[in-house]
Amino acid sequence: MTLLADIVLMPLIAFVTGLALVLMARRVRARIERRVGPPVFQPVYDIVKLFTKKTQISHGVMHDLSIVLLLGGYITAEIFLPVPGFDGLAHQGDLLTLIYIMMVPMLGLALGVGSCANPNGSIGISRALTAMLAYDVPLAVAVIGATMTYGTTDLVKIVEIQQAGGVATWGAATMPLLAIGGYLAVHGMFGKEPFEIYIAPAEIATGPMVEMSGKYMGALFVMQCFQLYTIGVLYVTLFLGGGENWPAFLLKVFAVVFVSIAVTNVYGRYRTDKVVRWMWKWPTGIALVGLMLVLARQGA
Amino acid sequence: MSELDFLLSFAAVLLLGMFCCGRDRRAGWAAMAVYGAMILAVIAAGARVSAGQTIPSALSFSILGQKLAWRMDGLGWFFTMLTAGSAFFASWYAAGEWGRAQKRMKRQHILLALNVLAMILLVNSGDLLSLFIGWELVSWAAFAMMAQKGGPATPAAFRYMIYALAGAMAVFAGIMIVHSITGSFAFDAFAKAVPSLSSGVLWLLFALFAAGLGVKMAIVPFHLWQAPAYSETPGASSAFLNAVSARMGLFALVLVLIKVIGLKTLGGLSLPLVHVSAKTLLMWIAAFTMVIPTFIALMQTDARYLLTWHGIGQGGYMLLGLLVGTGLGAGGGLMHVFNYATYQMALFLAVTAVIHRTGTSDLDRLGGLITRMPWTYVTLLMGIIGLAGLPPMNGFVSKWLIYRSLLDSGAPFLLIMAFVGTLGTILSVYKLIHNIFLGRLRPEHEGIREAPWSMVAPMLALGGIGFLTGWFPGLALDLTDIAQSAIGAPVLAHTLGGVVTPRGALDMIWLVSILLAAIGFGAIVFYLMGNRRYEVDQLNNYAGGHFLSPDVPYQFSHEFYPGLSRVIGPWYRGSIVRLERAIGTFADVAGDLWQGLFRVAWTPLYALFAAVIALFWAVNGGMQ
Amino acid sequence: MTDKPLKANERPPAGAEEAAGPAARDAAGPGQACPAPSPQERGVWRKIMDRFADHCRARSLFVLHYCTGCGAIELPPTITSRFDMERVGITPMVTPRQADILLITGYLSIKTLKRVILSYEQMPAPKYVLGFGSCTINGGMYWNSYATVKRLDQYIPTDLFIAGCMPRPEAVQQVLLQLIEDIDSGRANAWRDYYRNYDFYLGNQQALFGPKWNTPTDVIGEAEHYGLAGEGTYGPHTKLLAESGGTPMELARAERPARAITGRRKP
Repeated sequence: MTLLADIVLMPLIAFVTGLALVLMARRVRARIERRVGPPVFQPVYDIVKLFTKKTQISHGVMHDLSIVLLLGGYITAEIFLPVPGFDGLAHQGDLLTLIYIMMVPMLGLALGVGSCANPNGSIGISRALTAMLAYDVPLAVAVIGATMTYGTTDLVKIVEIQQAGGVATWGAATMPLLAIGGYLAVHGMFGKEPFEIYIAPAEIATGPMVEMSGKYMGALFVMQCFQLYTIGVLYVTLFLGGGENWPAFLLKVFAVVFVSIAVTNVYGRYRTDKVVRWMWKWPTGIALVGLMLVLARQGA
Repeated sequence: MSELDFLLSFAAVLLLGMFCCGRDRRAGWAAMAVYGAMILAVIAAGARVSAGQTIPSALSFSILGQKLAWRMDGLGWFFTMLTAGSAFFASWYAAGEWGRAQKRMKRQHILLALNVLAMILLVNSGDLLSLFIGWELVSWAAFAMMAQKGGPATPAAFRYMIYALAGAMAVFAGIMIVHSITGSFAFDAFAKAVPSLSSGVLWLLFALFAAGLGVKMAIVPFHLWQAPAYSETPGASSAFLNAVSARMGLFALVLVLIKVIGLKTLGGLSLPLVHVSAKTLLMWIAAFTMVIPTFIALMQTDARYLLTWHGIGQGGYMLLGLLVGTGLGAGGGLMHVFNYATYQMALFLAVTAVIHRTGTSDLDRLGGLITRMPWTYVTLLMGIIGLAGLPPMNGFVSKWLIYRSLLDSGAPFLLIMAFVGTLGTILSVYKLIHNIFLGRLRPEHEGIREAPWSMVAPMLALGGIGFLTGWFPGLALDLTDIAQSAIGAPVLAHTLGGVVTPRGALDMIWLVSILLAAIGFGAIVFYLMGNRRYEVDQLNNYAGGHFLSPDVPYQFSHEFYPGLSRVIGPWYRGSIVRLERAIGTFADVAGDLWQGLFRVAWTPLYALFAAVIALFWAVNGGMQ
Repeated sequence: MTDKPLKANERPPAGAEEAAGPAARDAAGPGQACPAPSPQERGVWRKIMDRFADHCRARSLFVLHYCTGCGAIELPPTITSRFDMERVGITPMVTPRQADILLITGYLSIKTLKRVILSYEQMPAPKYVLGFGSCTINGGMYWNSYATVKRLDQYIPTDLFIAGCMPRPEAVQQVLLQLIEDIDSGRANAWRDYYRNYDFYLGNQQALFGPKWNTPTDVIGEAEHYGLAGEGTYGPHTKLLAESGGTPMELARAERPARAITGRRKP
């Protein structure tokens, strides 16, 4: 029975928290630009407006199905991501599974954008996949290093290990270099400046979103909520000790996203090949050094 | 007659039958029926083999006092099943309209049967010499299959033949060294003699067998021949070659290096200064085989070349998993062989269907076919999800097992390479599906119809097998258990849904069920909330206010990953291609030199001298 | 249609609005995708949902970043820090598919009008057009030119006009707030007029661009899909459109009849 509650509640919590994260992102941007920013319910207004559009333009059955795949993929990812009080299915699928499930929505988006038959969208997806290749390498190094330190890929156990000794046993304290490399990769994963190349509004007309209107775009907005939440929670689970209780957990997730958003607003946009080169140099380098330290410590 | 004899005779009878009646319209269906019967024979044999028995064959003969025999153990059973299954689907595909559209289908039927016979002989060999006989038969049968179309296939097949012959000579040299040490060709004698061998001899044997057998698998640096050779083969045969033929190399490697020599020995055998063991060396070669061909695949513009380059990369995964040697690793590697056969065949048959309808496989000249060929699209989609290793297909399970085994054995850098290979695969398969099926439909392809059911049914069946074994991986893991126990690796404890290890579990039943339920919920949210959709024409598209017309192409296909190409393009300096060309030039020059030695103007004078000397020797020597 | 001067916001008298007959109301025909019953006919649940939808729609508006003429210079100040449109939920978006508001900022040359009409038709409903500056009202500074359009609402239905040359951000803000109020109270329905009186608008467009003028958008098909097709949708001008062959894709298909390819051709 609790499993059923988990399956229903975890995506719901993820969605609501994601809405708050999106609002925070827009408010922080506004404050940095010395503006006021949108009102509190703005993300809700946006999503409802998009879903209640009278015209829903579709480019074929695959267009619809890919949006469904997108939503389904993220909902699945939420169920495998443990949060305080809800373990969900974290015991039936571990960290490796979670990272792979998070690629399913990207595939769905790619298929949907392809079926829109617009080269702006295809270019956007090509850049998004290239950026994914770029940031997934340091992320892989950080995840592997973390897994070797904890000795398990079960997310619930990882959280337990980190909470055993307070802040001193957090991943960020025991493997600082891996945490830094992982954070830089996570920043790339958010898809915000300077790694915003796949949206690039003025260059390729927002890339994947170019032919999405109405509920299709509404689903993409929902995806953004899920995306901010999932990536934030993943980083908190791996390196910041997970959630002992809800206030601390939410504080950590918001902090992770806040730092990323704050840095975003003062950067321009890197070119695709520059993204690849930078990601394979700095975060990968830092994470590799961290990994070698972990290996040395385990060998000793 | 044992089941193995049944299999051999079925294959031989089919070969003869195709010789005489291959031109008949129903020949393809007859071939499919025979291969189906072979699958049943294999299943019947499975009951005996899984209990640990080996099935002997009546085929055996003696040469020079050595007895050559053929028998089927768990490993041979596994690969025989793959062979029969792949041939079944290939002949099903070719039985209908596709076969009728081919110019020389009889030749294809004959060669397919020949390849099946040769492969069964190879994987069920009982000793080193019968292994070599099977190896040579497979090499030549594959060569015939590759070269049959003529045109660009001929130089590609010839290049393959040179690699294969060189590899076979290396293998033969290794076998002869073993024979001179142990005095027999039997596997047991070899295995018994291994602990007493000096490290120099072991390194020589390891190098000869790894290089010789690895050539067939196209491990780096012998990877250059496979893609052109497999791509220029006609469609259904090429699918068969891709799925199974390259795995023959893997089979032989596993047999000789892992089962006979043993991973412990390989692990203890290390280079003097750098302390790198043979096992680690081979694992790193497998890792480079995973990464380098994958990114070469990414740059290809021909759909068949893209897929065959991926085939080379996936071979690296299998080898890596088997070299780790634990239950998880061996299970993952063997399951990857099975999974790869299903989705690579599906992919290749789908691309062949596209070629059949449009006449081209050039990725820059296709697009938007999803509206015209939806079932082919579904097959290709299932295939690429499997190839990329994403849930819910079976490729995810085998990759998870291999990753898990690498983590457990503490090899993080190999795991990073594996991960990079997977990411490259995702990029490259998206390019494949986008350039063929998504994007804008070209005006010249407006009138295309879907491929006929005789072609679509086997494709969908293969995709369905992939999905089923992804949802219930225990089904495939039961099969690999049989092979695993035969090679001496620890058996993987698994349930129907996956595995449970102390450090992290995988239950695909839960995962796929939740994924399907979540997709269903997403469908409810999407379809019930919001108004009904209105489908628009592909010309009704955003173009910055520009009016689109059908004669102006509006598609992004060419150079699909320019940013990435700018970064990794310069890294591919073609060193191995140049090395290959250098060896060829060296052989040319040496041949010229040698010709210069004996090809002189006074040939009759040389002949006179040789005759006089021979007469003198015969007179003198013969007197004694 | 006589070319008598129209006031701002005045709809052309094509008979749809004034006639009280049932044909004039947006009746929900069989198979209509989004039936739009008249305000009196809706059920309670429908009224609540519409109210909620209008409430959200008014507070989240995406402006198409389409800079037509010199009036566009007043947009950046309105978006950025000093006048901050995002406070009321208005943000700029890039493509017509994503936008709700089309701002025609300034004069419209004939060439630009074609693209504006294309972009307008690509926008999903409900959509709002704001004529920005005097040029859209009566030709403004270019009232005597042969190359510009004098009255915007003869070509696409317009919700509100902002007078000025050009209007300051405070004026822009005032109009946007007026638009928000209109949407909130359910009054901003000019987009339906395009479907209901398509023949009138098409006639004006054909007078400018010629009888073969068409866009890839199938407006009549959409009108039928959304249950807004009425007497004003069809007429002599739509007949001309149908005779010209239809959309470009239909023209292309007529030139290349479907044929089955069963064998390999030479690549």
